[in-house]
Amino acid sequence: MSTLGLRKAVAIWFFAVYVFVGVPLWYKLTTIYRAPLPIEHIRSMHENPHTDLHLVIPVYVRSDTYNFPDVHDAIQVQVNELLKSKKGPLTWSLQVLPFESWVNEESDYVVTLALDNFIGYTIPYDSKETIVFFNDESVVANDIPFFVAQTLIEHTFGLEWQHFSESKDVIKETNNNMAISYTPNVHLSISLLTGDGRPVAWDIVPTLEEYFTPLRRFISPLVNFTVDTGIVYYNDLKLGSLSGSDTASWQDLSHTVDLSELSSMNYYSERTVLNLAIVFPGHSAGNLSFINSTSKHDWQSFLVPQWGVLVINKSPLPDSTRLTKDYLTPIIYKFSRELFQLLGLATQAADLSTPYVTIDSFKRLMIIRNLDESTETLWSLVKLVEQFPQMAVPEEVLVNVRKALDLRLQVAELINDPFKGGDAVWNQALLLSNELFRVCEDAFFHKEMVQQNFFPQEHKIAVYLPLLGPLTVIMLSGLVNAFKRKQKEESSAEKDQDVKE
Amino acid sequence: MRIFWLISVLGAVLSLRGVFANDTHTNNWAVLVCTSRFWFNYRHMANVLSMYRTVKRLGIPDSQIILMLSDDVACNSRNLFPGSVFNNADRAIDLYGASVEVDYKGYEVTVENFIRLLTDRWSKDQPKSKRLLTDENSNIFIYMTGHGGEDFLKFQDAEEISSYDIADAFAQMHEKKRYNEIFFMIDTCQANTMYSKFYSPNVLAVGSSRLDESSYSHHSDVEIGVAVIDRFTYYTLEFMESIEKNSTLTLQDLFDSYTFDKVHSHVGVRTDLYERDPSKVLVTDFFGSVQNIVLDDIDQADNAYEDSQESQESSDLPDHILQLAIEKSRDEVTSKKNESKVHIRKATLVDYEDSIAEMSKVSHHKMLLEVRVFLIFMGLLIVYYYSRKR
Repeated sequence: MSTLGLRKAVAIWFFAVYVFVGVPLWYKLTTIYRAPLPIEHIRSMHENPHTDLHLVIPVYVRSDTYNFPDVHDAIQVQVNELLKSKKGPLTWSLQVLPFESWVNEESDYVVTLALDNFIGYTIPYDSKETIVFFNDESVVANDIPFFVAQTLIEHTFGLEWQHFSESKDVIKETNNNMAISYTPNVHLSISLLTGDGRPVAWDIVPTLEEYFTPLRRFISPLVNFTVDTGIVYYNDLKLGSLSGSDTASWQDLSHTVDLSELSSMNYYSERTVLNLAIVFPGHSAGNLSFINSTSKHDWQSFLVPQWGVLVINKSPLPDSTRLTKDYLTPIIYKFSRELFQLLGLATQAADLSTPYVTIDSFKRLMIIRNLDESTETLWSLVKLVEQFPQMAVPEEVLVNVRKALDLRLQVAELINDPFKGGDAVWNQALLLSNELFRVCEDAFFHKEMVQQNFFPQEHKIAVYLPLLGPLTVIMLSGLVNAFKRKQKEESSAEKDQDVKE
Repeated sequence: MRIFWLISVLGAVLSLRGVFANDTHTNNWAVLVCTSRFWFNYRHMANVLSMYRTVKRLGIPDSQIILMLSDDVACNSRNLFPGSVFNNADRAIDLYGASVEVDYKGYEVTVENFIRLLTDRWSKDQPKSKRLLTDENSNIFIYMTGHGGEDFLKFQDAEEISSYDIADAFAQMHEKKRYNEIFFMIDTCQANTMYSKFYSPNVLAVGSSRLDESSYSHHSDVEIGVAVIDRFTYYTLEFMESIEKNSTLTLQDLFDSYTFDKVHSHVGVRTDLYERDPSKVLVTDFFGSVQNIVLDDIDQADNAYEDSQESQESSDLPDHILQLAIEKSRDEVTSKKNESKVHIRKATLVDYEDSIAEMSKVSHHKMLLEVRVFLIFMGLLIVYYYSRKR
């Protein structure tokens, strides 16, 4: 091979390495990693949110007096018809089954048919049982199945009927301005505030242990409470300025009360904090005459939306007072009722008349809310990834998304099964859906998904150009030179030949 | 005449209702950012600290105020009043004197941290006090000041944030329902360009100057030696000083208070993304924290407690959730006691069974050993017998 040919081959070889190895390698090494998310799957989940869900709740029917062998089938037909009459955002149904000896009356839904003089129903305060009363006329007229179906749908499962069959948006409807957004862990901060520095003590620990701990245990499948208590001196939330007024409207209170010192949630690991503040005015401010004290109590209770409860006392505390259980217990009684309002389980208008049933229904509502919110989060993630092509999508995000899809399947399997419906099942489904919610949040808020967001593409060129620019120029000019020289030499050779001829 | 009077009263009541109509937010947050550093930018620090003082005075707790400040003037060697920052030559209010909680200081004031703060993308060890933990019920007031230009704002002479970056961050916040409404206020040169790229709903924005226009400082303090406050912020604060928590003044009143004569630049307001009419939005909807307080006058709880005290010995307890929980807890304790008794019996039985099993295992092992010794002994005997025979 001539020197020229060798030179040409080397130039081509270098250029080929540059183009076919160097450029792809550079591109590969400088490209932002974007994990391939299952975008189409998430899109379909967002567009058809509840296609994979069919919530089924098993209900067991028993009759104390008469033996109705096929009443459960008849009730099932009526329930289906009633549910068909309204199409809501979620498909749900009841699986009406005959009562068996293995059915757990405490954890499963049982309907008891009881013979009486009138037709009616009752849901006892302390159980999940629905008792339907019927008389002989209703048996003759075959009204029992319809009546049972109506009782179940509109009363026992009233919350589901309201949210799954009537409203259009489960998430929006379950939230009101008083209640906090559902979260499985809530911190409760209980404070005693006094307007001056006179020493005060309180028997809060024994009171809470006796009265509040059972409630915490009772509600623990739904919400875990952590509690702290403390005494704050020289702080009456500026209520002292209202001591002169006999009446104080909610506006006066809103504009006066300063909750900023009690709103520091930074000290708790839980995201959501609820407060109970028991406030005594200072001696310098004197009595708060706008507080309507009754013969029973010298205080009034006020609800602050999504914050907690204020218990405002009429009179200042005497010197060296010890607040005993007798004083604190009625407050805890009242607060526990208000706590359910703050959690969204009750409203001020409607109290918690059937706690077992309502808590269970609330669990189902929150399961569906978690599923919906997590779908929305995943969809937001997809939109974000599509909107910002320069944003990194780390592998961990993909792992979390896959985990979320898997968890959703597990929850769907649990709630769709017509023969699963005890407390344990709903608790497990709620637990999984909470985990699903958390995983989706982790995926969306991954810390690496911000670094490249404001790092424009041209920065990459600007960084590499001083290195790659000269290299490229040398490569190209070398290649062009090699070819040009060949042409020159060929033409000069041709000229030589012509001269010889 | 009476009709006119009635109509005017009705009109006043309705307009007041309109002003108080919004109860969609339940919490207020403030993000106050000073993007400058060094002594000669004293006024930017003072701007932000003045805003901090105002929102704190109107009830936003420190835990809900994010203060980003290079914080290098209070203790600067050139400061004639060490540990103090003033926003007026009369030096009436020491902005640094009260407790100031700076969340991001010095070189922590970066574009990255600001974007992270808005989008809440942090590592797990980020403390709660340095996070914007807002939700769909949060009204956020964002105030920025520093040196800027067309569509950018410098961060500490090292980098800049563009109007697109903030717009995209707001979009992400909206996507994840991290706010109810945002009120964005910016005091910098060509400030109005900074909100021009916003596209997310429910964002109201105000800027101190339009494109190709500078924002000016208000006045200097001879002893401090530099300008102490900017004009736009000065007149904002002048307006805010008249505001208390019960004020009925609206954001429109604030906007109307800005004139070219005062600010020396054209203040811009962007309302097209904002659903409400600023003339019906209270200033305290963003600058303060006014909690709605509802009297709970239902005596059911009291009665329940009284009844429970009376009927402690009878089984007929009142319907109260606490009573139910206490009853359930008692039942559980009783059943646990019974269960534990059964467990003790079972446990002894299991132990006994285990010991039998253990004994049998031991004896089995011993037997095996004996057989092995016997076989070895027999083997040795046979070997000895045959060797003797040979």
